Amino acid sequence: MIELRLHKDVYDGAAVDAAMKQFGRYARLTARDEASHWVVQIEATTPARARTVAGELGNAALGGSTKARPAVQP
Amino acid sequence: MASLPSIPGELASADVASGVVRLTVREELYPLDAVFAAAFTFIKDCWVVVDRADAAHWAIALTPKAAGASAELLEQWVGGFANELLACAYRHRLAKDHRATVEAVTAAALAGALGPPSLDELEDFDFSNEAFEDPLGIAMSWEDKYGKKAKAGDAAPAGSTDDDDGGAP
Repeated sequence: MIELRLHKDVYDGAAVDAAMKQFGRYARLTARDEASHWVVQIEATTPARARTVAGELGNAALGGSTKARPAVQP
Repeated sequence: MASLPSIPGELASADVASGVVRLTVREELYPLDAVFAAAFTFIKDCWVVVDRADAAHWAIALTPKAAGASAELLEQWVGGFANELLACAYRHRLAKDHRATVEAVTAAALAGALGPPSLDELEDFDFSNEAFEDPLGIAMSWEDKYGKKAKAGDAAPAGSTDDDDGGAP
């Protein structure tokens, strides 16, 4: 099992949810809300698969969080 | 975690067994938007996780997707990321500093793209608005300064060529 910790200052909660929905069919995902982090536990059939799902889920959450941020403010 | 020869140990370290390299940068120099922009260019080839190292630093973990990453390869990845991050931070600063200029130029371009005003729009336009305040009365229109002064009760001069004076045919 891999635990992916995504800081709330960086990752948007909706983006993390969307990423979990996107990759939920490839592994068993469990989310936990901590004070400073969104924590996603990833369980897959093999460690390599879990690692891949964790990595891609992190990338998807990062991309979604980028879109969720407002434009550059002066 | 092993340090990398070309990058100071307090900034970057690599875990060759796990194939992960970590970079720590100051938030003051590298805002989150710049970190996002740099990370976005690497998500095709790497798994990127951004975390907060402490109140003033971001920690970025890069894991190349290709298996069998060596220390040299990890060093190349983190070096490339650091360069991209620097470029993104500079672009972010330029965008922030010149936002007003870019908006003004864009607005002028869009206004120009609308084309010249129609006769109806010109007819409705209020030309009586003062362009600027002139408390000392320095600015004066040509008509006010050199135009004919109409006196009350004066008839139009015989040789007048004004169109609106109803001159004899």
